[in-house]
Amino acid sequence: MTNHRQRSVDRTSANQIAPKRQSRRKFLKNTGAALAAGAFGAVPLRGWAADPINIGALYPTTGSMAQIGVGCVAAAKLAVDMVNEAGGIKSLGGAKLNLVISDVQSDTTVTRTETDRLITGNKLSAITGCYASALTLIASEVCERAKVPIITGSSSDQLNKGRRFTFTPFARASQFAKAQLQMAKLVSDQPKVAVIFENTAFGTSTSNGLKELAPAEGVEIVMFEPYSAGFTDASPLINKVKASGANSLFSLSYLNDLILIVRTVKQVGLNIAINGGSGGFVMPDFYKNVGSAAEGLQGVAHWNHDVSEDAQKVNAEFKKRTGEFCFEYAGGLVASTFMLVDALERAGSADPQKVREALSTLDVSSGYAAMAPGGKVKFGPDGKNIYGRPVGVQWQNTDLVSVFPKEDARAPLLKT
Amino acid sequence: MLETIVQAVINGLLIGGIYALVSIGVTLIFGVVKIVNFAQGEFVMIGMYISFYLATQFGIDPLLSLIVTMPALFVIGMLVQHFLIRRVLGPNDMPQIFLTFALSLLLLNLALMLFSANYRTVHTFYSDEAIHIGGLYIPVAKLIAFVVAMLLSGLLWVFLHTTDLGKAMRAASQNRDVSMLMGINPNRVFAVAFGAALALAGAAGSLLMPFYSAYPFVGQVFVLMAFVAVVLGTLGNVMGALIASLMMGVAESLGIQFVGADSGLIVVFAMLLLTLAFKPNGLGSRRLRS
Repeated sequence: MTNHRQRSVDRTSANQIAPKRQSRRKFLKNTGAALAAGAFGAVPLRGWAADPINIGALYPTTGSMAQIGVGCVAAAKLAVDMVNEAGGIKSLGGAKLNLVISDVQSDTTVTRTETDRLITGNKLSAITGCYASALTLIASEVCERAKVPIITGSSSDQLNKGRRFTFTPFARASQFAKAQLQMAKLVSDQPKVAVIFENTAFGTSTSNGLKELAPAEGVEIVMFEPYSAGFTDASPLINKVKASGANSLFSLSYLNDLILIVRTVKQVGLNIAINGGSGGFVMPDFYKNVGSAAEGLQGVAHWNHDVSEDAQKVNAEFKKRTGEFCFEYAGGLVASTFMLVDALERAGSADPQKVREALSTLDVSSGYAAMAPGGKVKFGPDGKNIYGRPVGVQWQNTDLVSVFPKEDARAPLLKT
Repeated sequence: MLETIVQAVINGLLIGGIYALVSIGVTLIFGVVKIVNFAQGEFVMIGMYISFYLATQFGIDPLLSLIVTMPALFVIGMLVQHFLIRRVLGPNDMPQIFLTFALSLLLLNLALMLFSANYRTVHTFYSDEAIHIGGLYIPVAKLIAFVVAMLLSGLLWVFLHTTDLGKAMRAASQNRDVSMLMGINPNRVFAVAFGAALALAGAAGSLLMPFYSAYPFVGQVFVLMAFVAVVLGTLGNVMGALIASLMMGVAESLGIQFVGADSGLIVVFAMLLLTLAFKPNGLGSRRLRS
């Protein structure tokens, strides 16, 4: 069961945007990657202080996840700039952070070699990465062996198994399904949920996770229907949803299918609350693609730009730099960087092992480091933030607003 | 219940119209030039991206961009025929198959490189609108697409039956050698046929854009259905492909409704197998080739 659920909401975020049939493409990408590997490498930003502290940043800035990876790098740079402008690490004589960026090319093999290369080629104090759980799992393995701490927003529960150098400050995949079900209870006193999911590993495992948790949460699942991913027409499926009498619709879908589903629900004139989950759904691009039909749609995230005043400050700066609001992974990454700063200050050393020790005793409830749903970070022995929880979000007036749970809500949930 | 069935049939017919545009192109090329164009779906994709960029850069409605996509794809079709296909036409089928397949791969990966794998949508004022009649609804964007698709198919039929060039194309499709003996210039006929087929693919792209996302792999979704329709409606038979496409749309929709959302295609393929078992040449065989 757990295994299923880990993969369940497993931030298949990246997959949500990537198309499914990839074999041909993968082949060409790999051959291309082989050629590009020489040209693209780590691009160390010049540090200004005498003894800068190297922080590795592993993100996919080319390949299928490139768009999000580029956003992550922007956030990593923003965080480092914020730290350095505030005077760097005081306990180390104002040492500046130096970001060592590497492109993992949305590819697991490249992730392994790049993580290795980054660690052996630079004196790193810590690493952040890699957005997609599939990539982070690999990077985390390499970090464990090299004894360099990695701090990540990836949500796979697998990252908390038998690891000492991996820290996950945000909600785990297994917590997402529960939050979704609880949100359905806000929509109606008698939540009747229709779960439609694509018949792939991602859809099947996530939907099974929901099915298992539903009875305990008092949510009735009235329709449980797999569909073939990449369909041309969502109308027949939505006809079935309509006939099921559901008042909430959980769509475990990749972006393209989700867009068709949302539009069709609107055309049918069906009054139903839609929960689009996480990943691609909580990105600024989703609204751009779906337009006003996205209004009122719900989802879940591990971070949102309105969770705290500090988050709003970060969001404003991120918006200034990139033109988009600060998406969940980017915001979580800024917070993670400040957790590293807190650890470095206390460790008084750039040594990765000492940084790891300091991270394991981290306990913050204020400042940028505590910028998470719940507002507190303290790692348990499995590297999990014991206060970590997801935040329920909803698209309202072109913005993604936190609506659940009550403590994190910045606006009431609109019952569309 | 009746309402559900009627709604499913409407949904099926509407999407069947789009399948028809793609399959008519494939069958036209097969009928006239006698090659299977595996890249037809990629030309739908190109049509979609042209419409997408016209819409986002210049604010041109995707439906209006038909005026651009159709001639553009027509010219591309003529060029492809003239510079590529013409060279491999011969007694051996293999080079033709490899050529169009390679073209498909090339276009797909070019699109990945140029446009990335992201989904692109255009949101028009009618994208989310639907006409409601009783408990039924008809999405406006799909209705428009269906009507235009039927108009274009009709126009092609008229062209094939009333113009000299059209008749020459039909003659070439019935018997290439004899038609050449009758003084028909095959290169010209082939180029026009290829151009017309690609223009239809381009039209499909523009018509899809208001309600479907453009991405590099989008053509493959539609080309699969198109190939089934072409076989079902008898290879080379334009009217057969049209009717088969509509039937497949309806079969798929009913399948999703009554069998399961992941088995819509099972119904379609069951239909194909049954047809092949009883009418090996497809539903359109023994009719006049149009």
